[in-house]
Amino acid sequence: MIQMFSVSKTYPSQITALSDLTLEVTAGEFVFIAGPSGSGKSSLLRILFGAEKPSSGEVIVNGIRLTHPSFKKVYQLRRTMGIISPDFKLLRDRNVRENIAFALEVTGHPPKEIREKVSETLRQMGLQEREKDSILSLSAGEQQRVAIARALVRESSLILADEPTSILDDEMTGKVMEIFSELHQKGTTIVFATQDAHLIQRHPHRVIPLMAGKSGDAESNEEVRFEE
Amino acid sequence: MISFLGYAMRRALRNMKGNLFPNLTTIAVIGISLLIFLSFSLIAFNLTSLLKIWEEKFEVIAYLKRGASLGEVEGLLKQIRQLDGVETVNYISPFDAMAFMESRLGRQKNLLEGIQPAILPSSIEIRLKKDYWGETKIDEVISHLKRISQIEEIQYGQEWIETFSVLVHLVRLTQWILGGLLLAAIIFIVSNTLQLTISSRREEIEAMQMVGANPAFIQVPFFLEGLIQGLLGAGMAMGLLFLLYKVVLITITPLMKGWMAGIPILFLPWETIAWMLSGGMVLGLFGSFVASMRFLRYGR
Repeated sequence: MIQMFSVSKTYPSQITALSDLTLEVTAGEFVFIAGPSGSGKSSLLRILFGAEKPSSGEVIVNGIRLTHPSFKKVYQLRRTMGIISPDFKLLRDRNVRENIAFALEVTGHPPKEIREKVSETLRQMGLQEREKDSILSLSAGEQQRVAIARALVRESSLILADEPTSILDDEMTGKVMEIFSELHQKGTTIVFATQDAHLIQRHPHRVIPLMAGKSGDAESNEEVRFEE
Repeated sequence: MISFLGYAMRRALRNMKGNLFPNLTTIAVIGISLLIFLSFSLIAFNLTSLLKIWEEKFEVIAYLKRGASLGEVEGLLKQIRQLDGVETVNYISPFDAMAFMESRLGRQKNLLEGIQPAILPSSIEIRLKKDYWGETKIDEVISHLKRISQIEEIQYGQEWIETFSVLVHLVRLTQWILGGLLLAAIIFIVSNTLQLTISSRREEIEAMQMVGANPAFIQVPFFLEGLIQGLLGAGMAMGLLFLLYKVVLITITPLMKGWMAGIPILFLPWETIAWMLSGGMVLGLFGSFVASMRFLRYGR
């Protein structure tokens, strides 16, 4: 599902976010990309959803070679995945329901199907009471839940989640992890970037540790510790 | 498709409402720029029509020596008709000339009281074929006419028409040079305004890109915004030009009535108006296209 070979990313400011990184995530896997702030997790995910080009190396996602010069249709790649960004990227002039529905509208789903799927996702994320509320009236935690709901509603085979529970309380984090586990059991591939060592320790999935853009040795979940 | 265009139009109008001041400024600048261009178009259009009127009236008048008999005139008309380039010939007797003067003087025809037609020379009006209106060809005809002994004097306004024709060409040239410069300015202005709009809607655009919205889905509302700006700017220019035209008609024409007898001052024809409105739309569209090329691409 995801293959990265010797991928490096250096920004014009000469900051190296990723250095000679090689990894593989097979279909149906749940993987934690673990590392402290600035370790390159977000850069890695941004490369995977086509927001950035790697400086060198090879990246293949869902069978699409993102590093191939002829690859231009980023939007088609993004339709094959659910993305949760740390800054949510919600439409501020639309309400909760409309924001979630938008992910289905752009891929041309029929209105009836959109209504049903959005209602189900709202219920799943505990947002049904707030479906008509403006995004601006929501707390940061609620906005994060909307962002998660939007990524889930399309039932994509791949979810890229960048710190999706960073500002959720323990109860909601538990609920979100439950949803992710259910999706994983149904065969969805989940790439979950986090710096929350406790969260990783509680969930027995493969961990890819990142330190200053380099992949560390594979660790058991219990051993994960981050030093800021 | 129709529902998508409806959606794109609603978004475009909402964007414009949300960024009212930059949008109004753009429309005003497009309007003023196009007004300058259109003013030159209108002047050039009227000068061209005037030139056409004069060209159509263009004829050579050959004044005959006094005392030519009707028989001689008959022979002369036949001789001139046979010259290369001559389309029609028309004999004007002194009585015809007097009648013409009386008709031109109207109520003041009593000025001619006591004047005998016989003091006016008889003449022949010669219309040339269109391909003989050039200076060289006219000279050929004139040199033939000059060789006819019964002709006293020859008058024709060719030189004047040619000078006027150069003036018309100069106005047209100025119009297109100015038009080219204004065109670049309009594209630059529309593109910059839309860049402002786009940056103020950066988050929204990124949110759309995040879920894989088709680039057209994101870009079309901005294209429509440019198109509307262009259309409104061109409409404004056309409206102002029409007002200016009316002012000229009301204030200046009566003052120059005598001088401009029979010369109409025209407004731009409908086809030109339609072309200009479409042109405004294309300019706006192009400006928005330039802005979108730089700012609406999926970030990579």
